[in-house]
Amino acid sequence: MNLKVLIVEDDIVFCKLLTKYLNNNSVNTNDAQSAEAAKKLLAAETFDFVVIDYKLPDEDGLAVLQWMDQEHIEARKILMSRFEDETVIRKATDLGVKKFIKKPIKPNELLELIRELK
Amino acid sequence: MKLSITDHVHLVEPGDFEPSEHWYPRVLNSNIHPLVSHFLHLTTEQYIERYCRLNPQANPGALKEILNYQPRYFKWSGTDMMHITNNIGAKKLTVIETNSCPSGQKSMPLLDLNVEQGGYKRLIEDTFLPQVEKHDEEGALAVIYDKNPMENVGYASTLADAFGEDVYLAKFDKNDPDPPAKFEDKKLYIRSENDQWIPIRAAFRYVTQEPWNRIPVGSKTLLLNPIEACLAGGRNKSEAFLAYSDFNEKFKADGIGINTPETFLDVELNDIPEYFEALGKSMVIKVPDSNAGQGVYTITSEKELEQAMKALKQNPPEDKYLIQQLIYSNYIDGADKEKAWYHVGTIPDKKNRSYAFDLRLMMHYTSSGIRPLAIYSRRAKLPLNQPMPEGADSWDLYGTNLSVKQTEGWSYDDERLMLYDIRNFANLGLGIDELISGFIQSAMATYAIDQHAIKKFDHVNYEFESINS
Repeated sequence: MNLKVLIVEDDIVFCKLLTKYLNNNSVNTNDAQSAEAAKKLLAAETFDFVVIDYKLPDEDGLAVLQWMDQEHIEARKILMSRFEDETVIRKATDLGVKKFIKKPIKPNELLELIRELK
Repeated sequence: MKLSITDHVHLVEPGDFEPSEHWYPRVLNSNIHPLVSHFLHLTTEQYIERYCRLNPQANPGALKEILNYQPRYFKWSGTDMMHITNNIGAKKLTVIETNSCPSGQKSMPLLDLNVEQGGYKRLIEDTFLPQVEKHDEEGALAVIYDKNPMENVGYASTLADAFGEDVYLAKFDKNDPDPPAKFEDKKLYIRSENDQWIPIRAAFRYVTQEPWNRIPVGSKTLLLNPIEACLAGGRNKSEAFLAYSDFNEKFKADGIGINTPETFLDVELNDIPEYFEALGKSMVIKVPDSNAGQGVYTITSEKELEQAMKALKQNPPEDKYLIQQLIYSNYIDGADKEKAWYHVGTIPDKKNRSYAFDLRLMMHYTSSGIRPLAIYSRRAKLPLNQPMPEGADSWDLYGTNLSVKQTEGWSYDDERLMLYDIRNFANLGLGIDELISGFIQSAMATYAIDQHAIKKFDHVNYEFESINS
């Protein structure tokens, strides 16, 4: 069965390019450009992975991960950020984040990571 | 590809072009209509010969000058035209507007199935690459844009392939307080990793929302198109009309001219109702710098006039407007036989519905002169030949723009997009002579605006070069 991934990042070009790349590689991918849109999708569908940016326009990525815990929504979590902030990484680890990845993102490397963590 | 090397900047690498990312799915599976393909392959001489045969008053020498013209500023353009007729059946294509950042590649079926980058490749390799090779400036390559990512990623990846180097793809949004692009001493820089600013020698520009607020005249970075093209009529509709008027005056004796609806410039807000009366209680109001169907109002009733006036009062009080004659929906008995233009409309469908449509024709300057590049049509929502539903807006009858403003960005109304493929094209009722006529109208509009840009800006840019030399 294909893996199902949610990409959460406010840059629509980032989302569309990554979504297309992963879909073309048999990873069923959706995207959301805000925390609110991500929560709606997570509440409605089940995902194997959530790949989320730390910086979002409405809330930060950690708040979405925390909300997932409260709502008992399970998925493997990958956090993206431009900065390697120790505090953020520690909080993310506490929230069950499997991997922290620093931007820029190479789509093929993310695909490899997803396959590795599945 | 490296996604998000910094906020809203991606690095596109050679080999990144993916056709499914740069065409609508419907277009990817379409086949160009043979008549359209034939039209696109005709030589300049064939266009002129055929046009002059049907328009014997036209001077072929003047047409040759226009089709072989080398634009200084406006090297890539798109016109929106309407196919109209009058009460004596004198059909023609009339220019509604000319655009210096036209969209359309994603709606154009492949001309050659073996060239998967299609029109993206023709524009980049035949128009942009030769200019860049001659441009003596240091730096990287970029695409700067504020909408239409589907086409702009396509341009960036085609650029990367054509030049064999990485291309910065940067969003240059008018509302971004800290954009990843800036001009310093008239040279473009793009923010890269670790807040490093990269100098850019040449950039493909698709910045459409008030681009003059952040792109300077006389850019040292080669831009396709430079801002001068927008300011001389490629965006500003009043300037475009001045350019067309100059053109028509210049070529009056050559039997050619740009067709436009009757137009009035610099109309004050309070004077708009007088034009409504004078034009027979119908007209089009345009905010000169509007685009994508925003800021354009079709008025066919007192109620619509009132609503438009209310909306226009939100604009700055010093704004002036452009008023145009409305192209009617149908033949009107008793109206002036020559002046009462109405839409030809699509061929009636099985339910006998005929719709107003426009024709978007994109062109580019090449070593063979100005050539057609891409073409498609869009139809209105409501049919011309059936009663309007109660409470419907006249925009639904006449407006053809597909853009729908949504919170996440720009979307479009797929049902109304009419491809020039074997399935859709015949529904437009156009023949090869109309396409030739439309291309010549479009080339004339491009020529006119470039000449207007030269008149407006050459002295400014020349002085700039003198001071800096």
